[in-house]
Amino acid sequence: MSYLGLVLANLRRNRLRSLLTGGAIALAVLLVCILLTMPAGLDALLSRLSNNTRISVVNKAGLVYSMPYAFARKIRALPGVEDAVGQVWFGGAFEDDGKVTFPNFAVEVDHIETVYPDYGISPQGLADFRRYRDGMIVGRETMKKYGWKLGDRVTLRSTVWPANLDLRIVAEIPNDRSPIAWINREYLDQALKAKGRSLGILGIVWVKVTDPKEVNSVMLRIQELTRNSEAETSTQTEKSFFSAFFGSLEGFVTILMVVTVLVSLCIVFIAGNTASMAVRERAGEIAVLKAIGFRRGSIFSMLIAETVMLSFTAGAAGVGLARLLTELLRNAAAGSPQLGPLGGFIVNQAVVVQGLLLSLAIGVVAGVVPAFGAARKPVAQTLREVF
Amino acid sequence: MLPISYSMGNVVARPGRSFVMIVVVALVVVACSLFLGLLSSLHRTVAMTGDPMNLVVLRKGSDNDGSSQITRLAYDSVRYLEGIATGPGGQRRVSPELVVQPFFWTKEGGRENVLVRGVEPAALDVHGDVKIVEGRMFRPRLNEILIGKALRGRYRGAEIGQRIEFGRNQWRVVGVFESDGSSFESEVWVDAQDLANDARRINPFSGVRLRAASEGDLQGLKARIDADPRFALEASRETDYYAKQAETAGSLEFLVVAIAILAGTGAGFGAANTMYASVQARTAEIGTLRALGFPRSAILLSFELESLLLSAGGFALGALLALGLAEVLRRVLGGVSFGARTFTTNLVTLSIAPRDLALSFALSLAIGLFGGLGPAWRAARLRPIEALRKA
Repeated sequence: MSYLGLVLANLRRNRLRSLLTGGAIALAVLLVCILLTMPAGLDALLSRLSNNTRISVVNKAGLVYSMPYAFARKIRALPGVEDAVGQVWFGGAFEDDGKVTFPNFAVEVDHIETVYPDYGISPQGLADFRRYRDGMIVGRETMKKYGWKLGDRVTLRSTVWPANLDLRIVAEIPNDRSPIAWINREYLDQALKAKGRSLGILGIVWVKVTDPKEVNSVMLRIQELTRNSEAETSTQTEKSFFSAFFGSLEGFVTILMVVTVLVSLCIVFIAGNTASMAVRERAGEIAVLKAIGFRRGSIFSMLIAETVMLSFTAGAAGVGLARLLTELLRNAAAGSPQLGPLGGFIVNQAVVVQGLLLSLAIGVVAGVVPAFGAARKPVAQTLREVF
Repeated sequence: MLPISYSMGNVVARPGRSFVMIVVVALVVVACSLFLGLLSSLHRTVAMTGDPMNLVVLRKGSDNDGSSQITRLAYDSVRYLEGIATGPGGQRRVSPELVVQPFFWTKEGGRENVLVRGVEPAALDVHGDVKIVEGRMFRPRLNEILIGKALRGRYRGAEIGQRIEFGRNQWRVVGVFESDGSSFESEVWVDAQDLANDARRINPFSGVRLRAASEGDLQGLKARIDADPRFALEASRETDYYAKQAETAGSLEFLVVAIAILAGTGAGFGAANTMYASVQARTAEIGTLRALGFPRSAILLSFELESLLLSAGGFALGALLALGLAEVLRRVLGGVSFGARTFTTNLVTLSIAPRDLALSFALSLAIGLFGGLGPAWRAARLRPIEALRKA
């Protein structure tokens, strides 16, 4: 009988026990895999939202502190900058209750196209946005929410400026990630001038960098440009800018990792218990094997192989199940915005490898002590105990 | 019926095997308690902020004071209304407040939005749970600030006597306040006019907080403020306001439930293994008991009881470990930061509440109950003659 056959036969000997142990390992590995997807999932979510050549420039004091209007022009003149668009929070409310239900900004219309080439806004729409002062570009999510169509006229009442603007929808941002709306800065400025005020400020400047490798040097150049001016600036990549809106998650991720370690430990105990039960029951058999000439090394490897095979098979099932589950979740999330964030958690190859390595490690760690004990025990003593 | 001492004796008889099951249940309990504790701490910090007798008055449509602005005239329309409580010196308990969210720089160099609340000394009359525990109240026009306890040590200069850079100025920390762990402790309080100057706000206030003299007055005040057509203000009970801010994404709760079910089922399998081994080792004993006349139900019950005892032991160990680990995490991490609705940082102190432990206890009992069911059933169905023959 080959070693493999013996190992398999031993695993089959107490089927219920092997099944229960395997089940426990599979479930725990499944859980660990899902937990492992979380940090990467959050990261993927942010990467999907953002572009690696766009950076934000805000007043170093905070988002609610403004910058002089001239900054956008000065930033555009810097080397490495393809274009930049200055924006001001308009805070327009559409509904009667005065709630701002989607983010809306007054922007420099001529620079939208070059700063947001990845948004896929139609050329006709962009041309109209430049042509009509009262034009507005709206994200698809918001269009859907209110059932708006291109050409519709809507009124936004600002919650920060003394201005109610009649606007016409000239283009859509054809992706679901953005509920945002943009209006023409000049139009707002005129409305304010009619009331004796004027705009003159910027809230945030979005900068498109020519070359992704230049991002850091451009960020430094912008900070240098504004140093010792009336508003020093703070720059961030688009990804870190958005991640701030999710709140910092470092504490959450730490606890996630602690739980992952705990669950892994838990499986080691379950699998180790099973291995030691098997060894105890088969003490006589093992002694006989040794008596007929099997070496310690072979006995040890055979027992380890048993535990490893069980935990690896079960772990692989767990990994597969995790992959299937996240896949299902992603499909479910595609249709429901409530589950939306869960769709980003994918058991990718890295997680698959980690899960398999974990199951392998569990098998080895759990099997080593009982197997070593069994292999080392003197034959005569064991035989005496058993018979 | 078999006495309980029989089950207890079995637990002790095979310490190695019992130990494994106890540890497995304990680890699951630690994992679940930590997650539950994190969620409940987050919820407690935000939702437990505020006083049920206080009203938050904001611009109609603003769902938080960071996005509200009101004029001085609007403030005047509110401050002299009837039904506002008065302090011992006869002063009205009305606090006009300005909220700004400037960047603060963490010691590691990261930037975070922190809620800075510009107030007048009257604020302490309205927010009864806010107490200065170290240092003193700020003096106006001197750029002095009070910091909430949770900010200490997290940001550059967040210590008494030091200076913090935020907005357009440097500010001297002259005091630290507490508020029973509520989200005020993640805020900075400063003179309202100092803050309005720094942020160049034309309207010096975001909103008004006021304390009603009685529940009836609170309803009356709310009705009058909501109905006043001149200023478009909206009043809500302070506790309701914070409860709304605390509505976190359902995703987190979903995650905890999924972890509990998966880890619990896995541990249940492990428990079943231990108990099956226990039944197997005692086959002869069970046969003897049956031969002596103990009914099947007694055997079933006794094994269930053994399993429950083991899982309860696992819970006890797990609870101790979880409480210890939470303490360690508190020391190491300090506050766990979460973004709030206002895009400001809320520092949450991780602590495991009795309710979290109760839920973990229920989980561990379920592990014992279901893990023990199969083995106990098998033990109860053993035929006495065959069982005795095996001996």
